[in-house]
Amino acid sequence: MTRPVSLATKPQVALQSYLDGLLQDATEELEASPEVLDDFQAAVLEEQIRDARPEPKPVVAPAPAVAPVPRPVPAPVVIEPPAQVSAPAADIGVVAPVEPVVEVHRPVPPGAVPPAEVDGRPSWAAEPFECLLFDVAGLTLAVPLVCLGSIYSLAGHELTPLFGQPNWFLGILPSQAGNLKVLDTARWVMPDRYRDDFQQGLQYVISVQGYEWGLAVHQVSRSLRLDPSEIKWRSQRGQRPWLAGTVIEHMCALLDVSALAELIASGAVKQMQHLK
Amino acid sequence: MKKSSAQGSEDPILQWVTFRLDNESYGINVMQVQEVLRYTEIAPVPGAPSYVLGIINLRGNVVTVIDTRQRFGLMPADVSDNTRIVIIEADKQVVGILVDSVAEVVYLRQSEVETAPNVGNEESAKFIQGVCNKNGELLILVELDKMMTEEEWSELESI
Repeated sequence: MTRPVSLATKPQVALQSYLDGLLQDATEELEASPEVLDDFQAAVLEEQIRDARPEPKPVVAPAPAVAPVPRPVPAPVVIEPPAQVSAPAADIGVVAPVEPVVEVHRPVPPGAVPPAEVDGRPSWAAEPFECLLFDVAGLTLAVPLVCLGSIYSLAGHELTPLFGQPNWFLGILPSQAGNLKVLDTARWVMPDRYRDDFQQGLQYVISVQGYEWGLAVHQVSRSLRLDPSEIKWRSQRGQRPWLAGTVIEHMCALLDVSALAELIASGAVKQMQHLK
Repeated sequence: MKKSSAQGSEDPILQWVTFRLDNESYGINVMQVQEVLRYTEIAPVPGAPSYVLGIINLRGNVVTVIDTRQRFGLMPADVSDNTRIVIIEADKQVVGILVDSVAEVVYLRQSEVETAPNVGNEESAKFIQGVCNKNGELLILVELDKMMTEEEWSELESI
């Protein structure tokens, strides 16, 4: 599980493949021929077509006229390179609960609670926010720090599988914060292009704040500050409620991991047919 | 369930017999375990359901042995010196379950037991009672009564 493996899929190819998958549902609605478009442009087009539908479009809340409540800017998260976080070799026998490599989540101070959801945007996206970029099977994904708990290294730790669970459930990782249920991120974000070797080389688990679920990832890269205007938000989240939008400048998808964890915790995921 | 010295308290201590299957540890309620036998030849029963390995003669009594690996969705494995047949009582029946090995009896506080993720649609997911960290490893607690459906328990009775 923790063996580093050089994935055959190049990041760019994987990204294109992923975005192609995102478009799959909307392909029939696209009048333009999708093959002539760059995949990423097509993803944006999909959102534009959805936005252009004659449904009453909620008005985007204007920026507050008054100065916003001062909100402490979280310090950049420094991700230790894998070499520095590697567990002791030959750690056999009793396995201690895994300690977090990085505590990502920073509590929001009182009075700085973001406003309610606007235009399909999560509440944390009302103002510029910090994101963590990570790689899963060559695909770069972004998640808002406010939704994340800690980062745990899988080096020297085994996940305990449970029988009778769906194949996207990789197992349980005992951590200092309790037993973390780990999901196969690649199986969620690109189920149609999933390959079994994506389970190799998973190096970290990123826990979701407030939930006992974590996402298995191949690599954690860096943190990034995003302005909501940089993101092409998905106004309709019916099919993939956990996909908040796309970040064109950084060529990555923005995940709403809280929505994902809530989907799982609520049991609604059992009804989703595309997940075996 | 057995409540030992902490009986009556709000956080009872429960005893679990642990066994191993496919390198994972499982626990079953000690009160449901009658005895643990070394592997003995199991006589197949023609026409029996796939989850039944066969029957054994236990001091003159016929006991049906369940293929635990098959029940848990695991691949079959060869019998070894450590293989055991755990004689249990579940759903008012005495049956045997074949396991890779039996480890020990552990004491767990009720508060130490966490619920398992409720995301599986498969029948087998329903008999995971919970999980617990013990001695540095994760123990999967099995609810034996739910290991089979009512129909299957009835079917077993008629073998």
